[in-house]
Amino acid sequence: MDIISNLATGFGAALSLQNIFFCLIGCFLGTLIGVLPGIGPIPAIAMLLPITFGLEPLSSLIMLAGIYYGAAYGGSTTSILVNMPGEAASIVTCIDGHQMAKQGRAGPALAVAALGSFFAGTIGTIFVAGFGPILSAFAQQFNSPDYFSLMVLGLTTAVVLAHGSVVKAVAVILIGLLLGLVGTDVNSGTTRYTFGVSDIWDGIDFLPVVIGMFGVTEIIKNLESKEYLRTPIKATLRSIWPTMKDFHDSWPAVLRGTAVGSILGILPGGGAVLASFASYTIEKKVAKDPSRFGKGAIEGVAGPESANNAGSQTSFIPLLTLGLPSNAVMALMMGAMMIQGIQPGSAVMTSRPDLFWGMVASMWIGNAMLVILNLPMLPLWVKLLTLPYRLLYPAILMFCVIGVYANNNNATQMVIVAVFTVFGYILTRFGCEPAPMILGFLLGPLMEENLRRSLVLSRGDPMIFFQRPISLTLLIMTACVVALIVFPAFKRTREVAFQEE
Amino acid sequence: MIRVKAPQDIGAGLLFILLGLAGVYFGRDLTYGSPMRMGPGFFPTWLSWIIVGMGIFIGARGFSIEGPPIVMPQLRPLLLVVAAILTFGAMIGNFGLPITVLVITFIAAFARPNPSLKETALLAIGLAIFAVLAFIYGLGQPLPLWWEF
Repeated sequence: MDIISNLATGFGAALSLQNIFFCLIGCFLGTLIGVLPGIGPIPAIAMLLPITFGLEPLSSLIMLAGIYYGAAYGGSTTSILVNMPGEAASIVTCIDGHQMAKQGRAGPALAVAALGSFFAGTIGTIFVAGFGPILSAFAQQFNSPDYFSLMVLGLTTAVVLAHGSVVKAVAVILIGLLLGLVGTDVNSGTTRYTFGVSDIWDGIDFLPVVIGMFGVTEIIKNLESKEYLRTPIKATLRSIWPTMKDFHDSWPAVLRGTAVGSILGILPGGGAVLASFASYTIEKKVAKDPSRFGKGAIEGVAGPESANNAGSQTSFIPLLTLGLPSNAVMALMMGAMMIQGIQPGSAVMTSRPDLFWGMVASMWIGNAMLVILNLPMLPLWVKLLTLPYRLLYPAILMFCVIGVYANNNNATQMVIVAVFTVFGYILTRFGCEPAPMILGFLLGPLMEENLRRSLVLSRGDPMIFFQRPISLTLLIMTACVVALIVFPAFKRTREVAFQEE
Repeated sequence: MIRVKAPQDIGAGLLFILLGLAGVYFGRDLTYGSPMRMGPGFFPTWLSWIIVGMGIFIGARGFSIEGPPIVMPQLRPLLLVVAAILTFGAMIGNFGLPITVLVITFIAAFARPNPSLKETALLAIGLAIFAVLAFIYGLGQPLPLWWEF
């Protein structure tokens, strides 16, 4: 079996004592930051990115995987205990999870979420291991026009499946593409949009952009809402262990959630978000007594949490095989890889199989760490939740600025952080989600390069995108996705799915 | 009669139009080239014009479809948080980590109404000690510890 020998390579590369240690630290820090009220997984990952930069590539990716799962689980903990979803994917967990917490059953809810996520993560990892090489081999046949069309499809789907206004998200992505072009043009050596600032000749750094737009903007939004400045949150935890009945009720939900999540996660766009909503709907449909939902049904936690985690796992597939980040979290992963000198895509699997399979193995290790680390430490996380925000935000701000500065000891980076903080803030005031910008920001140079090569191939004829079969198929798929938004039935479903925000 | 129906959309539309025009204007000296030999100005110019187009569409929609109002920004958190970031950049090279952290914690604390001075002082000292221990000794980051002139 190929999968098994490949996975063995991965575990061989990943399972050094040192790497497990980094994964453990990553998981711990990820949960620590993710569980804090007012910090969703995206800002949590952005804040912790700098600490992985100094490590060698594989260790750094493994630590990052730990941070990622830690932050996601930390977010679920906050949703269940205090009804504050840190991200869209946790919204459905809030519905029944918080009801369970109110009935004093927060412990079982969190335990089922962790165990369900672990199971889903395991299946998701197998999915990645199985599908990765197939897609990657297919991607070897891609040429410049195909890559260009692929990016068009990826960005379009990301917009449609994410929440918020579609047209605004498209505009935000285009601005991201434009900002990604700032710096020296590789072909002509001309500097573009640098305004004579030598610090951005190599392009605007990724880290200050994400820290400003996601980390700091979030602080300002929380300070404005005043909700976070109120007296500390009360959260209680009695027993951790679920009863036999809980297990009995939740395992079918976990299975269904995993299946839904694994499949939807592969789609570009908010795979995990869509997956958790879909799973909740399914659970409600198949339940014998649907009226229990919304009043603390354990299936309402187990299903979506598993779907969410399976989806976050399989959303690595487009990134690792096609180099296409499907949502903001994946864009952060991609940025971190590029800082390590790895351009994600089909080439990674052939040129650095240890890295690819090591990463796949580290996903599973990260998931396993979560169960080992988080369940026993739940009382500590609950304590953390009660920290007042007025003490937290100066500390968060300090971490953000030190993280960016320590990366290259350059004070100009602070100006970039400030600019993107204000920009992110203005976008939210005008009802635009800032998250899609980061996708465009990373893909800007790639898209330009592939467009240039395609047009050289075709001697300037744009019809090349419709003449190559792969490219044409991808563009037809894009057209279908666009048609979906216009199509009223889907539009309504989409509105219903995201209305709870 | 033309009436503003969705202020957020009109604001976003204007923002995109401005950004797109800025992209066109500041990219005007870049060689455009031809589709076959794309110059450095080709892709940015196209992108910028598409952004302008999207801006016009979004802005125009704000006159026809109802939408939520713009929540007035509160200047205090925005300005003080940004001030804290810029102060960090200005101070860190000259004054070293602990002093800089003390100062930015105080600036940040005033981003909310009525911070307690005593509590802020304790927090600032705690954060300064923590930052030195964690970043300089723990992670071995090359951050300046004290001032240099």
